[in-house]
Parts: sequence; structure tokens; C-alpha cells
Amino acid sequence: MSWYRRLWLHPLGRVGLVMLGVVLVVAIFAPLLAPYDPYASARVTVDDIYARPTGAHLLGTDDAGKDVLSSLFYGARVSLIVGFSAATIALLIGGTVGIIAGYRGGKLGSGLMRITDFFLVVPELALQIVIVAIVGQSLRNIILVIGVLGWTTTARLVRSQTLTVRERKFVERARAIGAGDLPILIRHVLPQVLPLMLANTVLVISLAILSESTLAFLGLGDPTQISWGQMLNFAFSRGAVSAGAWWALVPPGLAIVWVVLGTTMVGNALEDMFNPRVGRHHLEKERGLRLRIDAPVPAANNIALSIRNLVVEFESESGPLTAVDGVSFDVANGQSVGLVGESGCGKTTTMLAALRLLPPGGSCPGGEVVFDGIDLTTLPEDELRELRWTRLAMVFQGAMNALNPVRTVGDQIVEAIRVHDNSQSRSAAMGRARELLELVGIGAGRADEFPHQFSGGMRQRAMIALALACEPEVIVADEPTTALDVMIQAQVMNLLVEIRRRMGMAMVLITHDLGVVAESCDRVVVMYGGVIAEQGTVDEVYSHPQHPYTRLLLEAIPDMDRPERALIAIPGAPPRLDELPPGCRFAPRCPQAFDRCHSERPGMSIIGPGHEASCFLLEESVRV
Amino acid sequence: MSEPVVIVKNATRSFPRHRTIGDILTRRPATEVKAVDGVSFTLSPGEVMAVVGESGCGKTTTANLVMGLLTPTSGEIEVDGLDLGGANRAALREARRRIQMVFQDPYESLNPRMTVYDIVAEPLRVHKATANRAEEKMRVEQSLEFAGLRPAARFGGLRPHELSGGMRQRVVIAGALVLEPAVLVADEPVSMLDVSIRAEILNLLGALATEKNIAVLMITHDLSTVAAYADRVAVMYLGRIVELGPTLDVMTDARHPYTQALLSVVPVPHPDRRRPRVILSGETPDPSRIPPGCRFHPRCPVAVAACESTDPADVQVSPGHTAACLLVTE
Amino acid sequence: MSRSRLLIRKIVWALITVLVVISFNFFLFRVLPGDPAKAGVKDPRLSAAAVEVARVKFGLDKPVFINLADGPWHDSQYFRYLGSTLSGDFGESYAFKNRTVSELVGRSLINTVWLVLPAQLIAIVTGVALGLIAAWKRGTKLDVSALTFGLFTWSLPTFFLGIVLLFFGSRWFGFPTAGRVTIGAGDLSLWAEIRDIVRHLFLPTLTLSLVLIGEYLLIMRSSVVEVFSEDYILTAQAKGLKPAMILRKHGFRNAMLPIVTLIALNLGFTVSGAIQVETVFSWPGLGLLTVNAVSSRDFPVLQGAFLLLAVSVIAANLLAELIYLRLDPRVTEV
Repeated sequence: MSWYRRLWLHPLGRVGLVMLGVVLVVAIFAPLLAPYDPYASARVTVDDIYARPTGAHLLGTDDAGKDVLSSLFYGARVSLIVGFSAATIALLIGGTVGIIAGYRGGKLGSGLMRITDFFLVVPELALQIVIVAIVGQSLRNIILVIGVLGWTTTARLVRSQTLTVRERKFVERARAIGAGDLPILIRHVLPQVLPLMLANTVLVISLAILSESTLAFLGLGDPTQISWGQMLNFAFSRGAVSAGAWWALVPPGLAIVWVVLGTTMVGNALEDMFNPRVGRHHLEKERGLRLRIDAPVPAANNIALSIRNLVVEFESESGPLTAVDGVSFDVANGQSVGLVGESGCGKTTTMLAALRLLPPGGSCPGGEVVFDGIDLTTLPEDELRELRWTRLAMVFQGAMNALNPVRTVGDQIVEAIRVHDNSQSRSAAMGRARELLELVGIGAGRADEFPHQFSGGMRQRAMIALALACEPEVIVADEPTTALDVMIQAQVMNLLVEIRRRMGMAMVLITHDLGVVAESCDRVVVMYGGVIAEQGTVDEVYSHPQHPYTRLLLEAIPDMDRPERALIAIPGAPPRLDELPPGCRFAPRCPQAFDRCHSERPGMSIIGPGHEASCFLLEESVRV
Repeated sequence: MSEPVVIVKNATRSFPRHRTIGDILTRRPATEVKAVDGVSFTLSPGEVMAVVGESGCGKTTTANLVMGLLTPTSGEIEVDGLDLGGANRAALREARRRIQMVFQDPYESLNPRMTVYDIVAEPLRVHKATANRAEEKMRVEQSLEFAGLRPAARFGGLRPHELSGGMRQRVVIAGALVLEPAVLVADEPVSMLDVSIRAEILNLLGALATEKNIAVLMITHDLSTVAAYADRVAVMYLGRIVELGPTLDVMTDARHPYTQALLSVVPVPHPDRRRPRVILSGETPDPSRIPPGCRFHPRCPVAVAACESTDPADVQVSPGHTAACLLVTE
Repeated sequence: MSRSRLLIRKIVWALITVLVVISFNFFLFRVLPGDPAKAGVKDPRLSAAAVEVARVKFGLDKPVFINLADGPWHDSQYFRYLGSTLSGDFGESYAFKNRTVSELVGRSLINTVWLVLPAQLIAIVTGVALGLIAAWKRGTKLDVSALTFGLFTWSLPTFFLGIVLLFFGSRWFGFPTAGRVTIGAGDLSLWAEIRDIVRHLFLPTLTLSLVLIGEYLLIMRSSVVEVFSEDYILTAQAKGLKPAMILRKHGFRNAMLPIVTLIALNLGFTVSGAIQVETVFSWPGLGLLTVNAVSSRDFPVLQGAFLLLAVSVIAANLLAELIYLRLDPRVTEV
């Protein structure tokens, strides 16, 4: 869809465009629409001055006895001319400076930015006043002054955009191919920068219109032109307030508001389209929380966490999308369970839903998560808070973002301890935090450092120390070693496994690495497309994989004991949530799929004690 | 074996550390970061070689040296008969045509606003390599089909966001091979892709070498998957190649303690089989402070006194297999 | 780069900017067409001899930039100006006879501070609080009304808002329409005088705060929404912190980081607001002085007022950067 079509469909954009359209029509056809010619000189009597609105003068008359409505129509011309011409100048200067500063960088770039910074700290209106006062008040001068002084915001925006685009890999690729600077700018950089510049243009226009009316109001407008600011200036300085002539004051003011509001709306709509910001956040109220009065069927004594038939949905423009569809598995006390699968198979979503930490827009319309005889999915938030971290903790993926950058690591551990046990003094909690940091191999001395002072591996260790703060019963670790170096990965996994065993915690390890699961877990749950493909003890599943997906996955990972073995690939890609296949989720990529797989979803077949898989090929085994 | 197309001889590349006003006032000497410190290897047409190491080991700098994106501080780098150290702009531009690159992130390395056809045709247009549109179309489609995007006509009109990660990486590869380069440098070609499709991309890179006689240099941190697809492996630590040899030799008979440690921590995908793991403590030191003697000795589990003072030379253990360690004997 | 060195660097940069503004001010008034500096000696009624005296008095007989002919090299218009400016001497006003510019500008500055400071404080507190609440209750009616309010005040020219408030405020609530004190009220007790000033200040302050609140509200809202979607907020939630506590300990400080910078960048906007409000309410501050100097072509005053406005913005900007440095431990480079 073209951008102007999208703009028209955007509610804010459409209203803004209509508002601007009205002004444009009025400006063009002012001589036809206006009942009087405000530029014509006429004989005026005292009665004509500040005459109330009547049939002859719909908006009354002004201090010179002229028709306000007519002046209003003609005033639109000056506003639009100044707005568009000044904005053009500002954009040309700002765009050029921004692109050069951003793309070339170096001494030239920083020099240009210094100049920009200088103009940013000089108060714009004061400077405009001074310059117009010196060079003289003509429409041309006003346009030039507003335009030449209005480029700084554009320059900053374009520079930062260009900088970002310049660092992007496809620009690097173009450079590696051997493309010159100009072709890269034209083909790769400009197309990315222009849309945002368009949004900025609209804002620059509205600022220019505001500037013009302000200058005119302060008596620095072009005296030969009728503009809205000028009308206000005359009315205000010539007694409209004491005469009570609101009609001479309010219409021109509202006209300015009308134009600026219209442009601002269009600008915001464009910004919305080209640079969608995060609209939602974690502290929004959870939606679709179900109520439940009866207690769930308790799990067996040795089960720490029981996930039953869990369903997770996400809101989308085309209706709810099912990300997790009926997942069930148990985590026994002190046991570690590996949750594996390709990216987008729903493994992280399952565990976030189980801990009620789904991102906004996600909800859990079905299933239960039983922990200590309570269903977590329906537990009121304040009761759930009691369980968090003291009994259920999580090690997040990418510890850089999971730790608050402006608070020390020790402080963040202390907070976790004290929020659940306020009998502990701050210093006692800090002592505990230091112990924990020592335990994970960071050293107690680094408690007062900030996350950015840690290396990636150290941050992940700090995250583990944080998770251990209240000695939870269940710990969920989401890809704890992704993006770390091989040796650091081994260090961190080793630490996690050892501490877990020593403390006797149950753990759910989310990972895409079947090798890691084999080395550190008791059970494995293989997920594909939001459902469980196979689950069982690690021994069973790795020795006798039943589901074709599990088998292929095991063939796709390297085995250092057999370096000569060729790895296989599973052709195709995992299904998208909005294009889930009607039958078995894996059928489109399965080499053994037959007709039934494409139309019907297989149930779970029990293969052995605690070992089950969902595939029609296993039907002879006992169905659940 | 044919003549090597890439010859790297004792290449060094250092970056000066920024000196602050305080440093100059206190007469602190200018320091430098030796990212690559005396690296030598050759690469022949049709051969796949992997450079393996952790972050900060100098593998990316090595790749940039071979690409001609950086010039060596000392040493020689010759690609396709051209000395990259002393080449002028025009020669470098020609070299760009002979050396192509595949990037790590297939989601980022394709311009989202261009069609697959335009992305693949871009190198041809930049180098004005085709006489007319028909020839361009033919070569783009050939490349797409070779990269496994068949039928080419259907894929040409798509935009990157309509493709899966694996298919995007195929587009990147198609764009790299359209100029029929002599050398292809692949920087972590599969690390952003799911395990299930890594093999097919690596197989495709292998096919480029065997069928198009291109020399492929793969840069990776992943000794287990990526390196296994190479003919030879070079293991780097702190700017130096510590072990180099035919892949199977290195995997089954690693000699350098660092290589042995790297191999030992690769998880074994079976619970019944356990191997002794050598987990090195600490992190790779800052390349501006390379330890004296053997650069690996502070972390080496088997270091002896001599390692603290002697920087070991490369020792040949078998034909084509060398390791730089005092404890390794011929 | 160490943080203390960064601090010094910021201060040095601010001083350089001040120097550049001073020089810029000099050239603005001499180089641009119209040559206002000579306006004072161009009065046709003056005799040739008197003009010469005036020229010498204003130093216009000296070279503009560097003195190469006679005397030391720094005996030029520029260096004379620099010297007198740095010692606080801006010359004499054309319009007010025998009044120095420093005296006029100094008194006006105090009045402007009385107007801007309370308005700024009210606006920051209210705007930040409203923005925080709007972001927290994102998508609710409260949020939508806050957004609408912000959008509307953004589009409202400050002077027009002032006029509207003045019109209805004076008519319906009897607020004074102009000035700092009621003229002709005679001797008042201290308490009565303060009351009188506050009555005069009420509408201007209200106007300025309303405009600024909308601005701060919009910035704060988007900053908070961004912070609230960060992973560490999820961590805080998983830790079992109450929403109010997350807001206080993890949301507020992090969201304030961009706000501090943006408030600093918006100081120019505040000055522009002050100029407009002072004009509408005839509040005898720097803004009104500037506008009046323009209409009476009183260039020394204009020059002095502009310089002071610019220097205050630079100083406030520096202050904001120092606050930022204190709030964010990560900043290690410019």
C-alpha cells in the first residue's frame, strides 16, 4: 500500500489532511470566498470599528472597521506561503547537513554537529526577532529567517538516522561489493531516511507557521500583508480586550490553532506509520484473567510444577493468534527439564505464560499451571506476587537488558531479597548479595558496579546470582548462554548445573541446543509450532527418538565423537502463527507425512513410562 | 593442487589506542591493539577453510584484511595475484569484484526496500559487468537457481521480509556469486539460523567451492558445526593461529591445548557418552595486553615454566597440520 | 574517558559557546545590512563634529576586527566590545536616556526569573506526573485525554492562549491586565504588595505553565512507555515488586534520563514562551524589553537582552547535562 493511502486510512492522518485541505481551499479561493476585499481602502466611521457580528459582517469588524471574516480568509495565504517556503529552506539545509554529518562522520561531521549544537542553545525566537529587526520586515526576510534558523532539528534527526542506516549490514554489504559513496547514499541510505524526513517536514511546517504568527503578533510581520498574527497584533494592541471585541481576537487565533493542529496530526500519523514506537508495555493491566473458585486437581507429591493443556494467544490485527496450543508437562522436585525447539516454536512463550509474565497482548485462555496446589493462571496478582522469586524465579535471556542499567548489581539483588523479607536490614541483605556474587564466581567486591561494567559472561552470572537471591524451588532459565563465547557458555552452564544440583532446585531450561540438554537435563520436551512433538527422559528420547522431528533434529546437530558424519537439514521453515497448517504442525516439512497428516491433528501416543510423542506413525502404541 | 588464490604471509594489523590529553601530559607511551599478530596461511581455488576463535581473537580482522577492507600493518596479503597491501584504488576496486562476502545476519544484510532481483543484480550494476539487461537477467537467474531459489522468476519479485531466514541467506549467497568471484569470505554464515537449516546453507557454500572452484574462507566461533564443513581449520587465539590443519586431523587429533579445550566443551548430544571437559577459567585477555611468552600460558591447563618466556613457533605434527605449542613435538 | 574529565569538558564547551555567542552577537549587529551600530550617529540633526565625537565615543573610528594600522592589534571594535562585554558593560540605551543597558537588562532579568521559574517548576512537576500516569494507564480514557490535551496545547500559540486567558480572566475574575503592580495603588504594606504582585503573576504563570505542561507530558509519556517495555521491568515484575514500586525504583529514574536532555533542549522554547507571555501581559521582563527595544530601535538594549537570554539558556543547558551525568552511570563519552 502506498504511503499516502496509508496516511488517508490513519484516523489522525485523515482528520489532519481534511483540516489542511479546508485551509488550502480557503487560501486559494480567498478572493471568491471573502465578502469584502480587506486590502481595499474604505471610509470608516466610528460605528464601524469593532462592530459586533451581524448578517453583513459574520464575524464582526476589526479596529479599522474591516470585515474580520474576509481578513481571516486572506490571512490563510500568508500562513501557508510562509509555512511551506520556510520549511523547504529548513529541510534543504538540515537534510544536507544531517546526511553529510551522518554519512561522512569524522572531523567534518563532528564540526557540523558542533555548529548545530550551537544553534540549538541559542533561543530561536529571540534570534528571529533580532535578525528581522535588523534586516527589515518583509515577507521574504521573514521566510528566510524562519527557514535558515529552523534547520537544526531536521539536521539532528537526519544525522542520527543516517548514522543508524550507515551502520546497517546491507550498507556494509553494498560497500563490500564495491559500490561508491554516491550510489550507496542514493540507493540504500536515502530511501531509509526520507520517510522519517517526511514526518519531520510536516512538523517543521507547523513550527514555521507558529513562528510567523508569533513574529507578526510581536509587531515584526510584513506590514503590507494580512496575516493571522498581524490581525491579533492590531486587535490586541488597539483595545480589543477593553472593547470586549472577542470576535476580533478569537477567530484569527483559532485559525492558527486549526492549521497547526492539522499539520501536527498529519505529522504524528506519518511518524506512526514510518517509525512505529513501542505502543505497549509490561505494566499494563493483564487482560482476560479468568476467575476460578475451585482448587485444581493436585499434582502428585513429587511434582513441583505441572503445566496442563496450556493455551496462549496473542492479539493481532487479524484476530487472536494461537502461539501455544495445549501444552502439558510436569517438572518434578529437583528435576531439570529441557524445553527445546527451533525459534518461534513457543518454548519461551510457554514458560512466560506459566509464570504470568506474558508481554502485553498475550493471554492465556485455557489450561492450568499447578504449583503447590494452586492454579497460577487464575491466581490474583497480589497473591501471585508472594510466590514470585521466593519460590519461582527466572534467568532471562540477554542479561544486558534484564538488569537495570542505572542501578548497581548488588542493589538489584538486595531489592529482590528485601521485597520479600523486610525484616532483613539493608546491610544484611547486601552481605547476602556479596555472598551470592562470590558463589557465581564474580567476586563480592564487584557488588557496587553497574551492569555495563561487566562482560557478557559476567552479566549472565550476575543474573544467576539474582535468581538465587531467595532460594527458589523452581528456576526457569531462558537461553542463558546465547550470544556468549563457546568457553564462556561452558563456564556459565557448568555453574548453573552445579548450583542447581547443590541447592536441589527444579529447573526448566529453554534452549535450542540439544547438546546442552543432553548434558544438563533429566527430561526433555521437544516443541514444534506451539505444540509438544515429543517428551520423555533424556535417556529415552536420545536413545529412541520417536517423532520424525526429534529424529531429524538430532541428526542436524554435530557430534564431536563422529566428526566425519554429515549433518542433515530439515528443508523449509517452522510455520508462522498466522499460517498454521490444518493437520499436524510438522506435516509440511515431514519426509514421512501422508494424507492424514495434512488434514488431521495427531493425538499423544504413549511410548513408554513418561515418554510420549504426537505422530500418526505411532498410533499402534497406546493413545491417550 | 592448483596455485593458491589467497596468500597471507606473516600479516599483522594493529590499531592505535586513542591517546587522551592526560596520556600525552603524563608522557604515557602510545599503546596499540594488536588484533592480528603474524598470521600466515594460503587458500586454493575450490578449497573451504574455516578460521575459528572466540570474540577478540582477530578472526574478523583477518577476514577484513583478506577482503581488502583493511590494510595490513606489516606482512603480505595477496589475493588473486594482487598485492592488497600496496594496491591503488582502481586495483582495489577490481579486487572487490573478485572477492565477495556473505554476512552473519541475513535479516539485516538485505535492504528491506529492494526486491530479491535487484539485490542480486546490484553487484553486476556496480561493476558494470553485463552488456545488457538480457545478460543481467540471465546471470541473476542463474545465481538464484544455483543458490536453490527455484524458479528464479518467482523469487526475483519478492522482498526480503517475505522470505525465511534460510532463504534470505541464499539470496545473500546468490548476490555474492553473481560476479563469479575467486574468493568468498563468509562471516558466521549460519550462526543466526536455526539448527535445522544450517546444514543446507553450509552444503551450498561447499558446492560453491567444488562446482564453481571458488575459494571459501569461513569465519566462525563454532568449531563443531561450521568448521566441520571445511577442508581445513585454523584456530586463532589473541591474534595468532595456534593450530592449523586438515579438519579431520584437527578434530580427532588436536595438539594445541586451546584447541583441545574448545573441542572438549562442545556438548555431546547423548546422555550416555560423557567426555572429560576442559573448561578454561577466566576470559580472553584484552588484545592490548598480550601476555609475554606463549600468549595462552596464563589460561593453559598444561603450561610449564618455559611457556612464560618463550613464544612458541609453529611445529609441524603431520603434513599440513601445525600447532604453536612448546609441548608439541614433531 | 573518565567522568571528571567529561565534566570539565562540558564546562569548557559551555564557556566556548558563550564566547561564540558574544562574537556572534557582535557580528550580527555590525555585519548585517542596516548597520545598526551606526544608527546612533546617523541622526541628520547632528553636526559633523558631533557625529565625529559620537563615532569616537562608540569606537566606530577603529577597525572592525584587528587593528593593523595604529596602536596595539587588539585596539579594534571587536576586542573593545569583547572586553567591555566581559566586564559587564553593554553601553547605554538609546531610548532611555542615561540608563545603562546592564541596569535595564539586570532588572528585567529578575522579573523574568520570577515568571519563568515558578512556571517551569509547576510545568515539570505536573507534566512529568501526568505523563507518567498516562503511560502507566496506556490506552485508557485518561491516557487519551492527556494525549489530546498535549496535542492541543502544542498547537496553541502561547500568545493566543495568553490573550484568551487575559480576556476572560480580567472580565470574569477581575485579574489585572498588565504590569507588575497596580499603578497608583499608593503605599502598600509589604503583605499587600506581595499579594498584588502574585495577582499580576497568576495569569502569565498559568499561560506559560499550560503550554509547557503539554510539551513535557508528551515527552514523558513516550519515554515512560519505552522504559516500561524494557526487559528489566519484566525482571522487576518477576521479582515480585508491586507496580508502584517498579514505577518508583525502575521506571521513574530511567524515564527521566531522556527528559532531562529534552527539557534542556526545550529551554529555547521556554524563552520564546516568556517573550510572548511578557508581551501579552506587559510583564516588565527581558522579553518585553526585547520587543520594546525592537520597536524603538534601541540596539544596545536589544544586543544586551539577547546576549543575556542566550547565556541563560547555555547555563541552564549545562546544568541539565550535569544532572544527566549524575543520573546515568553509563555516560563515559560525549
